[in-house]
Amino acid sequence: MLKNKTLLVIFRLVLGGLFVYAGVVKVLDPLEFAQNIRNYRLVGQSLSFLAAVVLPWLEILAGVALAAGVWTRASALIISGLLVFFILLTLVTIARGLDVECGCFGALSRKSGFGVILEDLGMLFMGLCLLFAPEKRNR
Amino acid sequence: MADDALSETRKIVRQVLVIGALGVLVGAAVRFPLVKRFARGEFRETFLSPADYPGIRLITLREAEELWAVGEVVIFDARPERSFREGHVPRARNLPATESKLKIPPDVLELPRQRTLVVYCEGGDCQSSLALAKRLNDEGFRDIRVMTGGWEEWKKAGLPEEAGDAEK
Repeated sequence: MLKNKTLLVIFRLVLGGLFVYAGVVKVLDPLEFAQNIRNYRLVGQSLSFLAAVVLPWLEILAGVALAAGVWTRASALIISGLLVFFILLTLVTIARGLDVECGCFGALSRKSGFGVILEDLGMLFMGLCLLFAPEKRNR
Repeated sequence: MADDALSETRKIVRQVLVIGALGVLVGAAVRFPLVKRFARGEFRETFLSPADYPGIRLITLREAEELWAVGEVVIFDARPERSFREGHVPRARNLPATESKLKIPPDVLELPRQRTLVVYCEGGDCQSSLALAKRLNDEGFRDIRVMTGGWEEWKKAGLPEEAGDAEK
């Protein structure tokens, strides 16, 4: 369990900030993001649309909460859950031999592959540290 | 101590649900017009908004066959090179349009922008013909038709095919 407070604050700001950024670029163009989801060829048209409407906001809300230190564990749990899902999704995509853009950071998007998984693992590490960090006294 | 852990877990679950519900509400509220269009039946086939991509239209196998028979159109096969070599619509040109890399060759860019272009990919839920169509639209082409049934439907209908590299 990580106990260094400064490091945990840095993790919170970095991870929260990354998720807010990732959410905002997706919010700007929901149809493009819906197409990104559809390109993974895992879910149909309707589910892709609904996910494109909701998912970015989930990222933004959890990211803001985490960065602000409000409901830290809940937001770290959501973010870690999303990351686990992204990692599995990327693995499945690699296994199926699909050439898909990850759709993760808007203009910074690149081919869905092991690089993306590595980044996700890095973020997941921060998320889990925050999720299991020792509890604050006097909440 | 165990009670503490349990109530902490409950609290976290509650907060997760609140954030989740908030995400749904905010998303639906911010994109209300889009959600309304979806509820009316839009976006069931593609996520193209006609306003964003005025040059793209979806067509059926029949329309594609007619266009092909007349022969005035340029046909693009968006599938990977290997699939193309195994068989494709006669006179089609291979422009593999996997989502992450797609370059339109210079001679295609020299075509008149009003020229009718037909694009297709595997069929089923393949998305590369759409990716190609969007790129062509962004290059200024104004009559791009996506054969949504793709190669699968063309082959199944027993229409003529061609194999090999052809006019790569």
